[in-house]
Amino acid sequence: MTRNGPLALIFHTLVVLFMLAPLVIVCLVAFTPENTLSLPTRGFSLRWFQAVFHHPDFVQSFWNSLWLALLSATLAVALAVPAALAITRWEFRGRGFLNTLFLSPLIIPHLVLGVAMLRLFALVGATGSFGWLVAAHIVIVTPYVMRLLIAAITGFDRSVEQAAYSLGASEATVFRRITLPMILPGVTGGWLIAFINSFDELTMSIFITSPSTVTLPVRMYMYATESIDPMMAAVSAIIVGITAVAVLLLDRVYGLDRILVGQH
Amino acid sequence: MSFLELRDITKRYGTLNAVSDVTLSVEKGEFVSLLGPSGCGKTTTLQMIAGFVEATSGSIRLDGRDITHAKANSRGLGIVFQSYALFPHMTVFDNVSFGLEMQRVPKAERKDRVDEALGLVHLSPYAGRYPRELSGGQRQRVALARAIVIRPPVLLLDEPLSNLDAKLREAMQFELRDIQRKVGTTTVMVTHDQAEAFSISDRVVVMEAGRITQIDQPYRIYEHPETEFISRFVGKTNLLPGTVQAINGLAASVSLAGIPVEIDAGGLVSGETVTLCVRPEKLRLIAAGQGRLPGRVAERYFLGSQWLYHIDGPLGTLMAVTPNDGSAPLETGVPVGVDWNPSVVRVHRGRLAEAPDPTLEAQ
Repeated sequence: MTRNGPLALIFHTLVVLFMLAPLVIVCLVAFTPENTLSLPTRGFSLRWFQAVFHHPDFVQSFWNSLWLALLSATLAVALAVPAALAITRWEFRGRGFLNTLFLSPLIIPHLVLGVAMLRLFALVGATGSFGWLVAAHIVIVTPYVMRLLIAAITGFDRSVEQAAYSLGASEATVFRRITLPMILPGVTGGWLIAFINSFDELTMSIFITSPSTVTLPVRMYMYATESIDPMMAAVSAIIVGITAVAVLLLDRVYGLDRILVGQH
Repeated sequence: MSFLELRDITKRYGTLNAVSDVTLSVEKGEFVSLLGPSGCGKTTTLQMIAGFVEATSGSIRLDGRDITHAKANSRGLGIVFQSYALFPHMTVFDNVSFGLEMQRVPKAERKDRVDEALGLVHLSPYAGRYPRELSGGQRQRVALARAIVIRPPVLLLDEPLSNLDAKLREAMQFELRDIQRKVGTTTVMVTHDQAEAFSISDRVVVMEAGRITQIDQPYRIYEHPETEFISRFVGKTNLLPGTVQAINGLAASVSLAGIPVEIDAGGLVSGETVTLCVRPEKLRLIAAGQGRLPGRVAERYFLGSQWLYHIDGPLGTLMAVTPNDGSAPLETGVPVGVDWNPSVVRVHRGRLAEAPDPTLEAQ
């Protein structure tokens, strides 16, 4: 590892500051005792957190978002594992098409997806259905899972599976005991990124949520159009906290480098 | 009937014949190597025995049972892969234990057998380590232990030593043979390294372009290569193109660029073109003006136990190897005489299509 010169060090510090400053400030503002968005200069207070927990709409939306993110991330992984295995390992007709299809939601603006989904939901009479909301989220998070899984599966030594197979393992056993554990960092990393993306998604969700399925980001957006008070900061701090815990947990178990860079 | 029998095994990929009509019988307890350059079909042959590749035609019998179309996981063979193919997320113990688990061997017996296998490959202290914490040679031993612990009828080795450095490779060769003798498992090894194949095999199967060209004991293959390809592929050799001038009873006189040389007639006819093969270590370098050919030392290479000389002469450059007996080597530029014993000359009918490729010989 080469050491950074003073100029590079200053530059890196500025980049890190620039990235972290908004997060730090929002989290600080969440603890303000004032009625306006301001830094807590006169002591810390948890009143805005209390306000969130006593706001039934926010609590409801939080659970909506949590379930939505858990379900869509898990289902996207279940869908992407066989798809990524097939695309990476076998030559078949339509392989390129399938690959592009799975990754295409990345390049379609969420705004467009939102309008399209809204129309689709209306057509099938699914407006306001939580299940269809999950389906829509699966569409937008699957590309992230696919990318990480394909990275994990590429460079996978097939002879390891052959070895297990030759030792008498059935195909199901090989998948469960060998393949899956070996691509687990990719699976977990993909799941986490899918979870965060779904939990965080606003643009598309605005179009397709109904009063009973409003997600946390949509709730925040609706709330913020009417009034801006430190409760927004408190909600943001909660989201930052949940994400940070998830990332730290993952780093502890697997190491983020391994997951995101795709090294074994 | 032999223990493992391949009969007219063919593997076709589209119009390409990767393996053509391979017939091979392996006796119980025998160590057989498939030797050939890359792309000669040796690995495909091994994979057909293993069950990873299905034969297009032909049959494979193991201990009297037809396994040609049996699934790889029902054959019960032990396989050591070139990449070792260890399970990276399992400890050494779990790697070795996996096959026994699949056979539903009770836990207590499993432990005994894994310990025994690890003892055999001198890895007992490493049972709790993960593959990434081991050196290349140790991984190789784990792969071997994992393959033999299930007591397979046949052990298949796919270039097992090619990822090790030279010194370790040599040590592992002897150890591999030693372990194979101890457990007595019938073994088929694929390799492109003739030294590896020769030093530890009972018999060597030379393959070329998907076909078997010679099956014999290592010594016989080296001394009596049946084709020109083998004489070039196996070890170094001098190939001397010539023409049969006259047949005198049992002897034939061959002209090598105008220089007459006597060889055994062996069915040759007058006027026929032939190629004489003489191994470098069979050439004797003697005083200038004597021997069968004149020459001059063009280059010399010190190989430790031997000297390799390039001798320029009327037939082009010849290779000669002399043991390093401690005396001073020949200087470059000095004239020498080249001689050989007529019995060491091998004759191939016909002429070389092209000059031998030195990089091919070096293998």
